[in-house]
Amino acid sequence: MKIAISSEGTDLKAQVGDRFGGSPYLIIADLDTGNFEAVSNPGSLGQHGTGVQTIVLIISNNVKTALTGYCSPTARRHLEANGIEIFTGLSGTVEEVLESYKKGEIRKTEAATIDHDPEKRVVDKAILIHAIQRSGNQFASMLPIFFGVVLLIGLLNTFVSRDFLAALFSGNPVLDTLLGAFFGSILAGNAINSYIIGGELLEYGVSLFTVTALIITWVTVGLVQLPVEIAALGRRFALLRNGICFILSIPIAIITVFIVNLVARRFL
Amino acid sequence: MNRGSAKKLKGKKDSARMFIFPVCVLACYGILCAIEPHKALIAMRTSGNLLLYIALPLVLVFVIMLALNLFVKPAQIVGLFGKGLRIKGIVFSVVAGIISMGPIYVWYPLLKNLREEGAGNGPMAIFLYTRAVKPFLLPVMIAYFGWVYVAILTFLTVSASIATGCFMSVFMKGK
Repeated sequence: MKIAISSEGTDLKAQVGDRFGGSPYLIIADLDTGNFEAVSNPGSLGQHGTGVQTIVLIISNNVKTALTGYCSPTARRHLEANGIEIFTGLSGTVEEVLESYKKGEIRKTEAATIDHDPEKRVVDKAILIHAIQRSGNQFASMLPIFFGVVLLIGLLNTFVSRDFLAALFSGNPVLDTLLGAFFGSILAGNAINSYIIGGELLEYGVSLFTVTALIITWVTVGLVQLPVEIAALGRRFALLRNGICFILSIPIAIITVFIVNLVARRFL
Repeated sequence: MNRGSAKKLKGKKDSARMFIFPVCVLACYGILCAIEPHKALIAMRTSGNLLLYIALPLVLVFVIMLALNLFVKPAQIVGLFGKGLRIKGIVFSVVAGIISMGPIYVWYPLLKNLREEGAGNGPMAIFLYTRAVKPFLLPVMIAYFGWVYVAILTFLTVSASIATGCFMSVFMKGK
């Protein structure tokens, strides 16, 4: 069985880390073989998303128990949701804590057992509040651009003529689809904006081929985010993936419109 | 500067950047109000009508977002990834992509970590493609394009994601 202990150093003589997500190292000890290894804790970087990486690291190493000084309620929820037991309020060297655990001297704290029956309702409420806050933040973060798009559409509706848009698109399904895919690739942001822009373009008489290609590439191809994708997943992966997605968007848009028209003719 | 305040400063910068676009549009309205007040008013009314049209779907968007945040955890999503392109890995990557939320750049560090842990190129490409299926935005999409279109496009998007995963596995073999 594997155990993860937050640590200030890379050996068993190091002090147990105060915070599970913020300690510089995690010592992963295998109780069956007696071996241990120290791994850098991605959470110690303190950057957005690194806390989740710590949890991923724990899960991917098949750790069953975590020992630490303190663990945030969010990290605790994620760990326990993945079947990992967590013991907090611990101090001393990693070796001492590990020995205490082996002897069964470490007991779960109140907070650790809070998910079980007696206080379940309190925790459920906390989870609900957390989910509402998270959803509120996600929702609020898409609103400024969303309102900007809605206001812009009002302007375009009033000031841009249908003739102008008709001149922009040739009427050739393949060329117009390519143009839609191109715009979708260079534009970025929440997908809701692509639906609104697409819906309004339809009102202007722009073909469904173009709009469909725009909607597909809006999310699947990201020229704006390309440098970040290259940095994270490598140049070859990023360029190849974006290229394949761009090329695929054309047949997907054409097939979608073809089937929609077929269904409309037969059943609607 | 400590790490906490650096994070706060970055968060503030990101928030400020979000307002650049709507402020620019509002500035356009300001200029047009001075030049053609009548047309600017019509534009505002058009935008107001558009907002009313999608108000109800937006409420549904929030409800679905809340449900996903309540019942789906990021750690569970990343746990769904496969190393190769077997049926189980494909299905899990598709599901992970569909239920994942938030901007893509939040997921890149996690994907990088997963790749270091041995996740395959195919499942990662599938995940990135199926993010185009947004369950919480379906009400808005249906309001604009109708059920039939959304169902067909969703099915083809998932199919295309699997095709992309297969292509990526072939072209990235040994990389």
